[in-house]
Amino acid sequence: MSLVARYLERNGIPTIVMGAAKDIVEYAGVPRFLFSDFPLGNSCGKPHEPDTQRFTLDLALKVLESAIGPRTTVQSPLRWNADGDWKNDYNNVARMSPEEVARRRADFDKVKQVALNQRQKAGVA
Amino acid sequence: MTDTMDFAPEYDVPLEYMRRTREYYLALGYDNPYRWAHYLDAPFQPLKKPLKDSTLALISTAAPYQPDKGDQGPGAAYNAAAKFYTVFSGDTSVDHDTRISHIGYDRKHTTAADSNTWFPLPLMREFAKGGRFKLAPRFHGAPTNRSQRVTLETDAPEILARCRQDQVDAALLVPT
Repeated sequence: MSLVARYLERNGIPTIVMGAAKDIVEYAGVPRFLFSDFPLGNSCGKPHEPDTQRFTLDLALKVLESAIGPRTTVQSPLRWNADGDWKNDYNNVARMSPEEVARRRADFDKVKQVALNQRQKAGVA
Repeated sequence: MTDTMDFAPEYDVPLEYMRRTREYYLALGYDNPYRWAHYLDAPFQPLKKPLKDSTLALISTAAPYQPDKGDQGPGAAYNAAAKFYTVFSGDTSVDHDTRISHIGYDRKHTTAADSNTWFPLPLMREFAKGGRFKLAPRFHGAPTNRSQRVTLETDAPEILARCRQDQVDAALLVPT
């Protein structure tokens, strides 16, 4: 998605990215980025909390309007929860048993095959 | 007023997804790590007119719900069959059922039960109604097919062309 933002911006359309993977978006380098420090899937606020969604969209629009140069990142002040321990869970092998790692490998092999078949069908493999 | 010495825990920083992902796939036995897009510069275009007079387009990585493509949630396992491979567009004046089962989001802490957390179209309609900006007639779905070349050479130009057709002045992009 960062590649699309860069492409639009370079071709005359100002962009704002709303996202939760700060390192990935900043590594690519985008014009404007509103970062929410939330689990992936919640770039626009918390589920069933319309106030946080409204706050997040409003902040994104303010960044779109006010950024003075590229690579502008603003971090939303909203917190997912108090302890932030969710960050220690995501794909963290240190928190997985060897059986869990083996199961995930088997799952991923299956998923990869499905994705490959899909790409071949779509003609992009 | 002054800051205290009661510092936050060391782990409580923005998650390092690239490092975590690299380590994860290595532990699973894959030793060909994904190479994320990386540039030193970034382009920049100021808004050409006030936001309230600008037409804003939503660009999303969410997929349209496809009943024949297996479990797409809420709470579905990663579902590569639900991926899409060409840019699609939808009418912003009506609601759309979009899902994120085709994306590697946080399966433990994200319920994926409220699409407003990844597809803010209803809220954008409300903001536009209130005069904050003009909503473009179409939103656009960007494929997440892991081919950066296809994104750069096919999908991004297609999205730009559609934005131009709609005389879009600015774009709000929501990756999941």
